[in-house]
Amino acid sequence: MTKMLSKKFPKPSTKCRFFASYMAKIPQAPPDRILGLVNQFMNDPNPSKVDLTVGVYRDNAGNVPTFKSVQNAQHLLHTVPSLRKDLSYLPIIGHPNYRNKVLNFLFHDGCPEIGPEIIYQDRVSFVQTLSGTGALSVTARFLSNFISDSIIIPQLSWANHANVFKNNGFRNISYYPYYSNEKIVLKDWLNHLINIQKTDREVTSNSKPSCILLHACCHNPTGLDPTKEQWDQILDTIYDLNLIPIIDMAYQGLESGDVLKDSYLLRKVLNKKRYKNWKNGIYLCQSFAKNMGLYGERVGSLSIILPETNSGNKSTSIRENIDSQLKQIIRSMYSSPPGYGARIVSLILSDKDLKDQWFLDVKEMVDRLNDVRYKLSQKLNWNSIIDLNQQHGMFYFTNLSPIQVERLKNQFAIYLTTDGRLSLSGINDLNVDYICNSILNVL
Amino acid sequence: MSDSLFEKFEALPPDALFAIKARCDADARPQKVDLGIGAYRDNNGKPWVLPSVKMSELQYSQDPSHNHEYQPIAGNAVLGEDAAKILLGVDLYEKDKTVSTQTLSGTGALHVAAQLIYKGDPTREVYLSNPTWANHRNIFESSHLQLKTYPYWKEDTKTLDIDGWLKTIEAAKKGSVFVLHACAHNPTGMDPTPEEWEQVLDAMAKYHHIALFDSAYQGFASGDLDRDAKAIRLGHAKLSKQSPIIICQSFSKNLGLYGERIGCLHIVNPTSASKANIISQLSTLTRSEYSNPPAYGADIASRILSQHELRDQWYIDMKTMSSRIYKMRVELRNHLVALKTPGNWDHIEKQCGMFSFTGLTPEMVERLETKHAVYMAKNGRASVAGLNTSNVEYVAKSIDEVVHFFSS
Repeated sequence: MTKMLSKKFPKPSTKCRFFASYMAKIPQAPPDRILGLVNQFMNDPNPSKVDLTVGVYRDNAGNVPTFKSVQNAQHLLHTVPSLRKDLSYLPIIGHPNYRNKVLNFLFHDGCPEIGPEIIYQDRVSFVQTLSGTGALSVTARFLSNFISDSIIIPQLSWANHANVFKNNGFRNISYYPYYSNEKIVLKDWLNHLINIQKTDREVTSNSKPSCILLHACCHNPTGLDPTKEQWDQILDTIYDLNLIPIIDMAYQGLESGDVLKDSYLLRKVLNKKRYKNWKNGIYLCQSFAKNMGLYGERVGSLSIILPETNSGNKSTSIRENIDSQLKQIIRSMYSSPPGYGARIVSLILSDKDLKDQWFLDVKEMVDRLNDVRYKLSQKLNWNSIIDLNQQHGMFYFTNLSPIQVERLKNQFAIYLTTDGRLSLSGINDLNVDYICNSILNVL
Repeated sequence: MSDSLFEKFEALPPDALFAIKARCDADARPQKVDLGIGAYRDNNGKPWVLPSVKMSELQYSQDPSHNHEYQPIAGNAVLGEDAAKILLGVDLYEKDKTVSTQTLSGTGALHVAAQLIYKGDPTREVYLSNPTWANHRNIFESSHLQLKTYPYWKEDTKTLDIDGWLKTIEAAKKGSVFVLHACAHNPTGMDPTPEEWEQVLDAMAKYHHIALFDSAYQGFASGDLDRDAKAIRLGHAKLSKQSPIIICQSFSKNLGLYGERIGCLHIVNPTSASKANIISQLSTLTRSEYSNPPAYGADIASRILSQHELRDQWYIDMKTMSSRIYKMRVELRNHLVALKTPGNWDHIEKQCGMFSFTGLTPEMVERLETKHAVYMAKNGRASVAGLNTSNVEYVAKSIDEVVHFFSS
C-alpha cells in the first residue's frame, strides 16, 4: 500500500491517507442491483427491448403517468397564488397541514374504529419524511438511540432494508424465513421468531427487545402476502414475544385498488381487543411514492404510535418529548423536509373532488395491473399469478431461474431482476405477446 | 420493558431559532419585528419569491415533458455540474476531477460530508469556528466526529481573531478538517479580508489540513457570485495539489428555495484512485437515508442555472436582495449614531450577508423581546433581512433604549 502510494504521491500526507489510502482500502460498493440493470437496458440496441425491473408504474402506452388528481393539484398550486405564497422553510417535522391531513387519512379514514381515539389521546408522534426510505432511516436512528438496535427482516425483502438499518445505527440484522416455492412459510417464520427470542434471553441474556419489519401489503419482491388469517397468527406471536413492529407501507392501495382497505395490517395491529398495548410503540413508515406516483418528490411519513397511558389520559407531554427527539435527529440530517410534494398531497387530501379523483386513479392503476396478470395467466398458463387473495401489487415473482432470466435478457432483451421478479406494469398490449412467447421459449 | 419506557424521555430544548419564530408568530403586539430566522424578507417584511424562480416555475408548469419519476441517487446531474461551475468558475472546474451530488440543501451536504469523513477516518478532528451556526455542532456530533473549535471573533473589538485562528491551525493535528464559511460568516457577518484568507489558507496548506467550505450565501452576500466564491477559489489554488476540497453548497438563500431543500456536495480533486470509491460510498449513504433527492426544486434551480435568460434575471435578483440588506445596515447604523447610542456601531455596516452580530448581550436581547417585541437570537445575532424602511427606526430606538437601560 505504502509503495503504491509513494509512486502516485511523492509526499503522502495525512490528507492523502484520508482520501487515498483510507478510502482506497474501501472496496467499491456493488452498484445498486436494479439500477445496474437499468444502465444495461438503456445501452441495449435491441428495438424490442422491455424493462421489467423497476418499481415505477407505467401505463398501457409505456409512459410514467402523472395521476389526474396530481395534475389537478399541481394546476391549483401553480395558478392560485394563495395556495403557495412563498418557498419558506417548513417546520422540522414538516408542513402542519400535511400532518393534519395525513393523520386524518391514516387514522380517521383508515382505522375508523380505533383511530379517532388514538388521535384524541394524542398518541401519534408524526413527522413528514423523505418518502418511505426517509421514514425508515429516521425510525432506525430513533430506535437505535433509545430502544433497540436489533431487527429481524424477511429473508426476501426490499434490497435497501438491510442497508437502511445498518447505516443508521442498528448492530444486529437477522432474517426470518418468508417464502419458498410460491408459498409463505408461516410455520418456519413463527418458529424462527420464537427460537431466536429464546436464544437471546437464555444465551446472551439480552433483555433489549428486537424489532421486526413487516411489509404492510404487496410484499416486495415476492408480491406474495400472508392471508388475513395468517396475519392474526403472526401478530399474536409478535405481540407475545414483545417484538417491536415496524410497518413499511409503501404500496397502500396497490393490493385492492382501495387505499383505505389496504391499511388492514395497521387496523389489525391497533386492535385493542387483541393487543392491549404495544409497550414500545408501533412504527408506521408510509409513502406516497407509488400510490400517488410522486416518486421523485420524496413524500411520506413516520407515525410512532405510543402506548396508551394506564389512565387512558392524553399522552401529549410524552408525545412532545418524542417529537423533540425526532426533531433533533432530523435537524442534523437535513433540517427540514421538501415542500412541493407535501403541498400536492395536502391539497389532494383536503379537497373532496381531488380525493375522489385520487381514489379513481389508484383503482385505474390496479385494474390495469390485474388485467396484465389475467393476460399472463391465459397465455402462460400461470395460475398463481391471479390468486388475488395473496398475489398483490406491482410485482410477480416468476420463479424463473437466474439462467432463464439471463437468457431472457441476452436472447430477447427482456430485463427482469436476477431473482426472477417481474414488474407487471412494464407489460402492455403492444409487447405482451412478445414477452409471453419469449418466456415460453426460455421455459 | 414497562410502559415507562416512553415516559423516560426528556424534552430536548427546542431548536433555538425555530423557537424564536414560534414566539414571534404568537406575539400579538403589532409593532413586532422578527430578526431571528435566516430567511430573506422584502421591504414589506414578506417572503420573496425571486422573479427568476417565478419564471422557472412557470416554465415547469407549462412543460409537458416533466413527470415525477425518481431522480438518480446523485440527483440532477445537470444541476450538479452547473452548481460546481458557479463555485469554481468555468476556468477551474474540471468535470473528471469533481464528484458532485445533489443534497438536501446545506444541512444535507454537511451531514453527508460528515458521514463520509467518519467513514474515511473516525478519529479525524473537525474544527468549527467559534462562534458558528448553531446546527454545525449538531450535524458533526451526530456523525460521531470529534469536534474542536478555532477562535474567530474578538468580542471586545468586534473584529476577526486572526492570530488565534492561525495559532490553532498550527497546533492542530496534521490532516484536521477545518470548516470554513466561504462568505458571510454566520453568525458574525464578519469575513476575513483577502489578505487574511491568504494567511489562513497558506497555514492550512503548510500543516496539511483539509478545507471544508460551507457555502450558504454565495451571491447573496455581495450580489456577485464570483466575488463571494473568492475564498473557495483561493483555497483551490493553495490546497488542491495536496488534498481534495470539500464544498457544501446551499441554494436556500441565493435562489430563495429554502423549503425545497436544494443544494450540492462537491468533492473537488479527489485522487483518481479514490474517486470511484467516493462515488460508491456517497450512493450507499444516500440510499440508506432517503434513496434519492427531491426532484421539483432541483428542476427549478437547474433551469435557472442553465438558461441565459433566467440566469440573467437571477443575477438581478441577487443584486436586489444584497443591496436592500446593505441599505438596511447603513440605515440602522446611522440611526444608532444619530441617537448617540453608547458604543461603536460601525461593525453593523462592515459585516455582510444575512446577519449582523450586534454585540448586544443576552439580557439586552431579552429586554428587546419583552419590552419592544424585537426578536433576535440570544447571542445578539440579528437577521438584517428582517429590517425594512418602516421598522428600522423603531428597531434602532429599541436598541438605544436597552443599551441605555443596561449601561446606566
